This record gives sequence, structure tokens and C-alpha cells, in this order.
Amino acid sequence: MRGLSVWLIALLVAFVATVQIRSQAEVERSLVGVDATSLAFLIDDLHSANDTLASEKADLTRLRASLQSGQTGAADQALTDEAQRLRAIEGLVPVQGPGVVMQIDARGLTALDLEDALNNFMAAHAEAIDVNDHRVVTGVAVEQTSEGVTIGGAVVAAPWTLSVIGDSARLAQVAELMSQQLRADRRVRTATYRTVTDVVISSVISEKPFVYAIPS
Amino acid sequence: MSRLAGVGVVAVVALLVGFILADQVRSQLLTPSNQVARYQALVRSVQDLEASNAGSRRQIADLRAQIDALESDAAARSATTQALQSQVSDLRAHAGLVAMHGPGVEVLLRNGVPGPDSGGGSGYLVNFQDVQDVVNLLFAQGAEAVAVNGRRITPLSSFSGSEGQIVIDQGPPVTSPVKLDAIGDRNRMVAALDDPSALPGVRARQVQFQLHLTFEGLPDVSLPAYDSSLQIPNVAAS
Repeated sequence: MRGLSVWLIALLVAFVATVQIRSQAEVERSLVGVDATSLAFLIDDLHSANDTLASEKADLTRLRASLQSGQTGAADQALTDEAQRLRAIEGLVPVQGPGVVMQIDARGLTALDLEDALNNFMAAHAEAIDVNDHRVVTGVAVEQTSEGVTIGGAVVAAPWTLSVIGDSARLAQVAELMSQQLRADRRVRTATYRTVTDVVISSVISEKPFVYAIPS
Repeated sequence: MSRLAGVGVVAVVALLVGFILADQVRSQLLTPSNQVARYQALVRSVQDLEASNAGSRRQIADLRAQIDALESDAAARSATTQALQSQVSDLRAHAGLVAMHGPGVEVLLRNGVPGPDSGGGSGYLVNFQDVQDVVNLLFAQGAEAVAVNGRRITPLSSFSGSEGQIVIDQGPPVTSPVKLDAIGDRNRMVAALDDPSALPGVRARQVQFQLHLTFEGLPDVSLPAYDSSLQIPNVAAS
């Protein structure tokens, strides 16, 4: 009788332990790679991205309808509008609009620091950027040279003034976070920003013809 | 009688201990299973959103192709429209809206292995700054077009993400292995990638975590067209 009780208890303990270990293993297996917090951020990013894509689809659908209508001049108008928009995107024409102007006075900041700052604004949907009268888009080389940081081959000495056009509220959030981080950096003397209703960017980039790339 | 009372007390105590044990076991088991359910719900949400994202990008690519065809029809009937379309075609190519090919390089970044002294850190994972640094280096060496895991880089492209997740523009996250393709002077780009002083962050982690960086020049690299949004609602021409 006593032996049977011991066996029963051992069986029960083994069962509970097995269930517990299996549950734990299942959690660990599904958690490989990404934690739940990162997934939540990812969901937020994807929602925002999908909203932007939906807006683009709506614009393109309207444009297609306009072209299909066969209205006189519809194609010319669509092409003219697109040319103007693409020139602004590629930094080929002066632009203006709401945004922020950020000033960073520092000694010893590198090209990587500037690239990170520019990328932070780009990630906040910056639509046009200028640094000390040099237009910047993704693809313009920001490099570290013996003379200092260069943008498109031209030396850009501190203090840096970053003029950014886009959604002012969103850009201001990023500028605030960057200012806080920069002020904690011993190399930085001052880092300030202001929201501006009409940022004017006069600098432009010269279009470079393709040498190697061919349309497929 | 007193023996019977003793058995009764033991039975009650055993019952209580049993309840406490059962409750403890139940609460121990519930937490992980709830975690799994919550995690799986999050994963399902991500999968649904990614599927919707891919569908939208396909539709955008289709719409752009249809608009291009309609504009070509109009251009065939008007010299003015033809001149405008030629200008726009060039601008589209520079903005990344046209599939391109040509000589270039292929760069591969792959996660390393967690080091014994990494302290649970994510230094062994390829992160968005690594990708951003390689893209910047390629452009600085004259790359005319760049794509990351088939996602074309545009003048408005940005890189973000956390841990090993790399988010480019409005696309779903990219994870290791990350393949970067660039069209341009392949000898110049290969020489820059080969320079031990370039990409200091990646090179340090190559040593510490065996992060993987390889590259090769190729005679013909093909890059897809950008398939997401290029809206600039706040910008006006001066």
C-alpha cells in the first residue's frame, strides 16, 4: 500500500513537471529572434507604412482614372506635375514648406554623426533637407576626410544648420530627442531646434547622368 | 475515537496542501501559456500586416505600369507629351522608379554568433546602421543605384529598426542575410569595401562576433524598381 502511494506521487510529479517543461519550451521556441515589445513596435511601423501605401494607391488610382478619361491635356498635366514632384524629391530645385531648423555647434563630430542625424530625419519622413546650404538626399555622399566632414565633396564645418521640410510635429519630436542626446555628448556645445512654418531651401543638387546603369 | 479524529485532521491538512499545490501548479502553467497566446497573436498581426503590405506594393507597381502605358499612348499622339514623357522617364530612373541593370557589386551581410562575453547583447546581429553604412559607402563610391534585399533605395529612403530587424521605407522588416546590390564602377566599390578602415562598426564585430561581410564585383547586376510611396505633401517649389 505504501509502495503504491510513493509510485502514485512520483507519477503525479513527473506529469506536472513534463507539462511545465513543455509549456516553457513552447514559449522559448516561439520567442526565438524577436521579443514581444519589438513585435509591438513592428506592428505600429507596419500600420503606418500600410496607411502611406494606401494613400499612394489612392493617388495613383485617381491619376489612372484621369488618364483613362482621355481628357485633353490630362497626360501633359500628369507628366508636368510628376516632373515637378520628382525634381523636388531628387533635390534638383529649390523648395519650401513647414518643418524644423536645427543648429548643432560641436567640435569633433564625424560624418557618421551627421549621417545618423540625417537618417533620423529621413525616418521621420523628411521631404527635403539642407545642411549649411548643401542639399542632401539619400545617395549624396557624406564622408569623413582629413579636412573634416564633407557633403557631396564640399567641406561642411561646424556649426551645422540642418533645415528640414516635412510634417513639423513629427520632425520636432525627432529634433527634440536628438537635441537631448547631443547635449549629453561632451563634444557638443549647443544643440537647439525651432519649428518653422516656412523653411526655405535654396540649395540644389546637379543631376548626374548614368554611366553604368541602364533601364531594364 | 481520538484515532479517528487524528485521521480526520490529517485528511483536512492533506486536502488543503493539495488545493495549494494545485493552485500553484495552475498559476505556473497559466503564465507561459498566456504568453504563448499573446505572442502568437502579435505574430499573426505582423504576418497579416506584412501580407497587406506586399499586396499594396504589388498594386502600386501595377498602377505605375498602367499609368506609364497610358502616358505612352498619349505621347504617341503628341510631340509635347512625348518630350514631357522623356523628361519624366529620366527623373523616374534617378528616383529609383525604374528597374535598372549594369555592372556593379553584390554585398552580403550575415549575422555572427553571440560571443561568450556579449552579455545578452545584440552585437552579433546585422542591424540597420550596418546596412545604412554600407549603402552610404556604395553611394560615396559612385553607385548609381542600390537595392537592399530587392528593395530599391530612393532619394527619400531611410533605415530604422531594432535588434536584427531592418526597416527600409514602408517595406516589411528585412533580417539577416542581407544582400545589397549596387550598380556603378565595380572596381572602385570593391576597393572601398576592401579598405580595412572602412565600415569600422562592421569590421569590429567581424572580429568579435564573426559577423559575415562578403562582396564581389559582377558584370551585370539587376535592380527592381521602387514599389512604395514617394509622396512629399509638405514640399512646394520655391
